[in-house]
Amino acid sequence: MTLSKLVFRSMRKNVKQYYLYFFALIFSVTLCFSFTTLQYNPSVVEALKKSGTATAGFEAASYILYFIVTFFVLYASQLFMKRRSKEIGLFQLIGMTKGLVFRLIALENIILFSLAVMIGMVIGYFSSRFFAMVLLKILEIDMIVQLKFSLDAFQQSALLFSVLLIIILLQMLWMIRRLSLLSLFTAAKKADERIKGFSIFQMVMGLIGVALIIYGYYQSTMLFNVEKASVYNNLFLHMLVILGSTILGTFLFFRYSVSLIMNIVRASKSGHLRITDVLAVTPIMHKMKSNSKSLTLITTLTGLAVGIMSLAYIAYYSSGSNARFASPYDYILLNDQGIEFLDALYQEGIDFKKDTYQISNVKLNLKDLISENLQDSPLLFNGEVDTAVVSLSDFHQIEPNFSLKEGEALITSYANVLSEVLPLQKDVDVNVKSGETEIPLHITDIRKDYVLSQYASDASPILVVPDNLFKEIEEQNKAQVNIHSQIGINLKDKDDMEKAEVLYKKFSEDRKVMLDNEYSIIINSFEEERKENVASLGITIFVTAFLGLAFLITTGSILYFKQMAEADDEKSSYVILRKIGYSTSHIMKGIYAKQAFNFGVPLVIGLSHSYFAVKSGWWLFGTELVAPLVITICLYVAMYMVFAILSIQYYKRVVRESL
Amino acid sequence: MSVLIGRKIRKVYGKKSTAQEVLKGIDIEVQKGEFVGIMGPSGSGKTTLLNVLCSIDHPTEGIVEINGQNLRGMKEKALANFRREQLGFIFQDYNLLDTLTVKENILLPLSISKQPKAVVESRLKELVGILGISDILNKYPNEISGGQKQRTSAARALIANPTLVFADEPTGALDSKSANALLTNLETINQQKNATIMMVTHDPVAASFCSRVLFLKDGAIYTELYKGDKTRQQLFQQILNTQSVLGGDGYDA
Repeated sequence: MTLSKLVFRSMRKNVKQYYLYFFALIFSVTLCFSFTTLQYNPSVVEALKKSGTATAGFEAASYILYFIVTFFVLYASQLFMKRRSKEIGLFQLIGMTKGLVFRLIALENIILFSLAVMIGMVIGYFSSRFFAMVLLKILEIDMIVQLKFSLDAFQQSALLFSVLLIIILLQMLWMIRRLSLLSLFTAAKKADERIKGFSIFQMVMGLIGVALIIYGYYQSTMLFNVEKASVYNNLFLHMLVILGSTILGTFLFFRYSVSLIMNIVRASKSGHLRITDVLAVTPIMHKMKSNSKSLTLITTLTGLAVGIMSLAYIAYYSSGSNARFASPYDYILLNDQGIEFLDALYQEGIDFKKDTYQISNVKLNLKDLISENLQDSPLLFNGEVDTAVVSLSDFHQIEPNFSLKEGEALITSYANVLSEVLPLQKDVDVNVKSGETEIPLHITDIRKDYVLSQYASDASPILVVPDNLFKEIEEQNKAQVNIHSQIGINLKDKDDMEKAEVLYKKFSEDRKVMLDNEYSIIINSFEEERKENVASLGITIFVTAFLGLAFLITTGSILYFKQMAEADDEKSSYVILRKIGYSTSHIMKGIYAKQAFNFGVPLVIGLSHSYFAVKSGWWLFGTELVAPLVITICLYVAMYMVFAILSIQYYKRVVRESL
Repeated sequence: MSVLIGRKIRKVYGKKSTAQEVLKGIDIEVQKGEFVGIMGPSGSGKTTLLNVLCSIDHPTEGIVEINGQNLRGMKEKALANFRREQLGFIFQDYNLLDTLTVKENILLPLSISKQPKAVVESRLKELVGILGISDILNKYPNEISGGQKQRTSAARALIANPTLVFADEPTGALDSKSANALLTNLETINQQKNATIMMVTHDPVAASFCSRVLFLKDGAIYTELYKGDKTRQQLFQQILNTQSVLGGDGYDA
């Protein structure tokens, strides 16, 4: 028999067992190639041009993707190599030299790999169109996606996978060289722990693991805690400490705590185990040494993926409410410029509500409103700043039920990041300067409502004062004020938005407002602001979702592969159990429990990691936490479940066949 | 009283063209309290017969009745329950779970039954006392010897108080000293507890512990020997004589 014949025969024989490795390869190629093709797709390139940082983001993402794929392919090949150790041993036993065995395996792998790369590229090519359509949909761009083969993308992917192939071959060469015949036969059994009694050391380590995770969580809630202003000096260090303690804690949890907990449960039964204990608890304890590393990795990756996806989604989800910050009304006219826009709306028959504000300003030192222990914060600008002032009756247009007494004032539009980092106190007396006059005011409330365009308020909080005081201030400051009035227009029917946008575009000259007679600004409508946000965040959400998908499928597959190997390892146990009188359904009950642990625990801990990570700083990204977080988690869990179900199906087959 | 009845048991492996008849219509009956040995050359169908009798395998034709219950037509789940409640098994390669301690392994058949702990504990104590493994109960299989493993396996087979214990070459992997110890244990349990045991072996010494020995040749019962009032030595001699008549061809003992 020639070498090639032998290769084909062994491949055909192995197809059934290794088709998963094959699928893993195809999947990796598909992911890589469709992403790079997308990157070079002319429609996408054009869409990306509009956002400066997008191209860089895409490139960075593609490197992360390469990294994930590399890691995944190497891991999978190593796992499947281990399962073939017996076969390699057998080849050597019948008298083949190590060189010949290597050539055999190498040839087999080259064929398998090339086939996978070809199939993957074809699928990737077509799926890239789908991804491009998703991207443009997210960006709210109406454009027909052309399908174009990119030579650059091809070369890039081909290069990556050639390098990977070479690494895999070297890995195999090293493995075949290094191992003796005897150890080849037992390679699959390596790293199995012999369970002995549990020592104090393990107990202490187990407790330390749990303590480290709790410490990490606690620290994460303190990360941006305003009471401890000193942390801002070494935010990065603080984050590293949290990350380190959580990951180490996770590892120790899997390595020691799990065994500890299960050992307590098991000891309490004093030998009278239930079938689920036999099939779930004891094998998990038994394998924890070799599994703890991969479970830690999977937990961390899950936490990372869900965390990043949630934050990106929070930002995307909040693009509307962030736009409200820039433009609290659908349309804003400043200094009565472009009043004709109202007529135009009227003529088109578009219903709207109009609010008018008179604006003045005073000098206010925010430091006066900040609590004692935050006075040293490096974020605090110490000094008086121009603060926009509106009258109470104007404020009543958005908040009708609000009253101020003589000498009282309230601050509004204090929201978002600033209000989280530097919360202002209410019921405080401050002095504001209007021209040369000092006015004592009692601040009764701090509110979040946006009132003025960010240009009118300078993106700062706004002071609301009683009407007569406002008149005074207005008189004193007439000369210094750039923007003295605002008309805010809200459409009654949002369906008119499209028509109104067209009208608003015609007033581009009137939207230009001069400041200090030196430079000018152009005000945007709410919709324009929102679209701008969507354009920049859409790419972020797309890229993170893509990477998140890659993480998900990678971790899911690794778990699945591991479970397949475990199922095969444990087949002999199932044979015994079935012989002595346990039916398939009895055994499956134990398997469900085991899968609930293997898939559920990394998922739950990973999600809890990501929850604390997201919770500590989500307000940096947007205004809505619950909905985006819940949606992300649900989607992730649903897709993750697919792997658990696949794994259970595999177990079912093994159990059924084991009698 | 017959514990086990087998009528005209036939077992054919393979498709029509390549069909191979392994059991050719075997009739067998086992009384309560008997210790039956099945002997025969390699390929005579010993293990197949045992598997068919103990419901792990289905006969192509014929009837198997244990304790008056016909096994034919029973569903997988019912068969499994039947095995767990009525039968005990001892295998050549011990078949212990590496992840369980000796005690956990012994109690394995009871892991879905609802017997009170105290009853189980007292039965366990009695069994491990007879088998001499009471001081290794908390050890794992990889920490004990082959003989101890097989005695653990025997304890597991007996813990649920089965109607019938099947042993497939229980001494096959043991040295002669451990083998003798195990067989003496089985004999004691057979006599003291009136347990019915059916054992496949190709070791004449092992077979000489039985109260009756069946000889299988080419899928049919060739002859049988009763111990009666004979000593073990005499039965052993008879077994050797029968074996030589059966012909040494292919005999692997």
